[in-house]
Amino acid sequence: MKIPTRYLFAGLVTVAIGLPFCQLLIWSFSDRWFYPGLLPQAWGLRAWQYIFGTAGDQIINAVFQSIAVGAATAVIALAIGFPAGRALGLYTFRGKDFISVLLTLPVIVPPLCVAMGLHLWFIRLGLTETFIGVVLVHLTFCLPYAVFVMWGVFSNYNPDFEDQARSLGATSTSVVLRVILPMTLPGIVVASLFSFLLSWSQYLATLIIGGGKITTLPVILFALMASGDRPVAAAVSIVFVVPAFLALLLSAKNLGRQSIAGVR
Amino acid sequence: MGDLLLKNISIRYGRHSVIDHFNLQVADGEMVSILGPSGAGKTTILKAVAGLIDTAKGEIWLNGRRLNGIPPEKRNTVMVFQKPLLFPFLNVTQNVGFGLKMHGLAAKEIRYKVEKILELTQLSGFGRRKVHELSGGQQQRVSLARALVLKPDLLLLDEPLSNLDANLRHQMRELICGIQEKTGITTLFVTHDQTEALVMSHRVTLLLDGQLRQVGTPQELYYKPVDRLVARFFGGVNFFDGRFRNGCFQTEFGDFTLPKMAGNGHPVTATIRPEDILLSTINEFELEGRVERTHFEGVTTRVWVSCRGRRLEVLAGRGEYYPGQAVRLRLPPDRIRVFPPDDNNHL
Repeated sequence: MKIPTRYLFAGLVTVAIGLPFCQLLIWSFSDRWFYPGLLPQAWGLRAWQYIFGTAGDQIINAVFQSIAVGAATAVIALAIGFPAGRALGLYTFRGKDFISVLLTLPVIVPPLCVAMGLHLWFIRLGLTETFIGVVLVHLTFCLPYAVFVMWGVFSNYNPDFEDQARSLGATSTSVVLRVILPMTLPGIVVASLFSFLLSWSQYLATLIIGGGKITTLPVILFALMASGDRPVAAAVSIVFVVPAFLALLLSAKNLGRQSIAGVR
Repeated sequence: MGDLLLKNISIRYGRHSVIDHFNLQVADGEMVSILGPSGAGKTTILKAVAGLIDTAKGEIWLNGRRLNGIPPEKRNTVMVFQKPLLFPFLNVTQNVGFGLKMHGLAAKEIRYKVEKILELTQLSGFGRRKVHELSGGQQQRVSLARALVLKPDLLLLDEPLSNLDANLRHQMRELICGIQEKTGITTLFVTHDQTEALVMSHRVTLLLDGQLRQVGTPQELYYKPVDRLVARFFGGVNFFDGRFRNGCFQTEFGDFTLPKMAGNGHPVTATIRPEDILLSTINEFELEGRVERTHFEGVTTRVWVSCRGRRLEVLAGRGEYYPGQAVRLRLPPDRIRVFPPDDNNHL
């Protein structure tokens, strides 16, 4: 029996992505797992009992903090990235190349440098250990991605659609809601998802600016990793990955070439 | 009802003037085309009428209502663009019903009107199709249906046929003319294709370099161009100078008896269309010439003939012509068009 190439490829990709998760799953259900055993010597639910029992409140709180920070970052990144991307994609103006370089700076400079540099300013402005402070520092990493995605969308966007809609009787509000938004929706989803996931996985910046007061999931995860309790760290890692994975799945149909290219 | 009046319209993009003192009147039910080469500012005029760009000067009136300052959605004019611009997230029915929905019509009424218009534009049965499943011609028809369903006072067509191949263009031309005749909708049509303008319009407006050169019936523009630029745009290539003296138009090709013009004795320019010159290989005409070169173009053959030190371009019917051949020519006086002496558009 001959397996079609695309199924073979899909299978290989699934295995490559799934295999590390298998290890995490095994770790989370192990009680004792010492070298050189290929599988744990003892299985148990200790890690999961810890997560949903002993540290339940702390982890649930961290999940909500992470979602709140991620969502706020994504919304603000999009609110700024959308008009910025539109301006960069549709118009030619002086300094456009310079803006492009500026946008890549936070991506190139190590997060530690950015967070350390901002820390001093945030202390002066009273933004450290606050929700807004953490969102702002996350924005320094997320905003460039949101702008770049929306820039790509609007580079291939034809504004004549808006003129056409207006000529057909659409008001300015209707043009935004019934033309611009549906046309750029795939790009909006991608930009939001990028921003959310980037914010979701931020550790260092959150720790420095949040000062331990804003405890997102990565902060807890790193603390557990440092304590050397691998089963619990594995279980928290799974909890950490699931929401991000769900977000990715839900927006899957909007991912791909079309989402970055927009609609001509 | 759709009486359009454009009074002294000037449009600028920044410091650059695109349209300069443009005037046009379109009567109710009339189909008028704005003809001109690319970049002449044709689309800019349509956009100004549709309210999509502002005019620097001038007034736009439709049915006695001044349109300046009125937003596009309240003008009751609809523009059909060069590209179909069908919303890709809507199917054919939803695209056609878009404008009706924007005007707040009930779903039932929208459905009824959309069905009717799809029938008129020969699109029945395509309602549920996605727009990317349609051919270029079908997409342009949907775009037209989307505009027509609103029954606007004025329909603005911006080169809607230019993206179609020759065959489809011909079909669409017929369809647009048919619908225009049936609905009597006032239409302003922009094109750079002179055949399209001549075939489709009641009147043609020729726009060159942002300025109106001539308005008239297709026959007037073709046979009675007001100046050399207009003549040249419609394929006029034979220009020659002469003077009116003693009731005669004297040129290097001989004296012609023409209707008298002002400026007696002053040099004036005249033209004759290539297809109006009579060409013969036998000695039946008075002018002698020699064939320089020929182009076979199917229905006709384009022949360049040197005659009295000048070169004339002639469109001849079936016949054997070859370089070096001695031929006879005749310039029928009634086909000679003399430009008024104040025409200074020397090319």
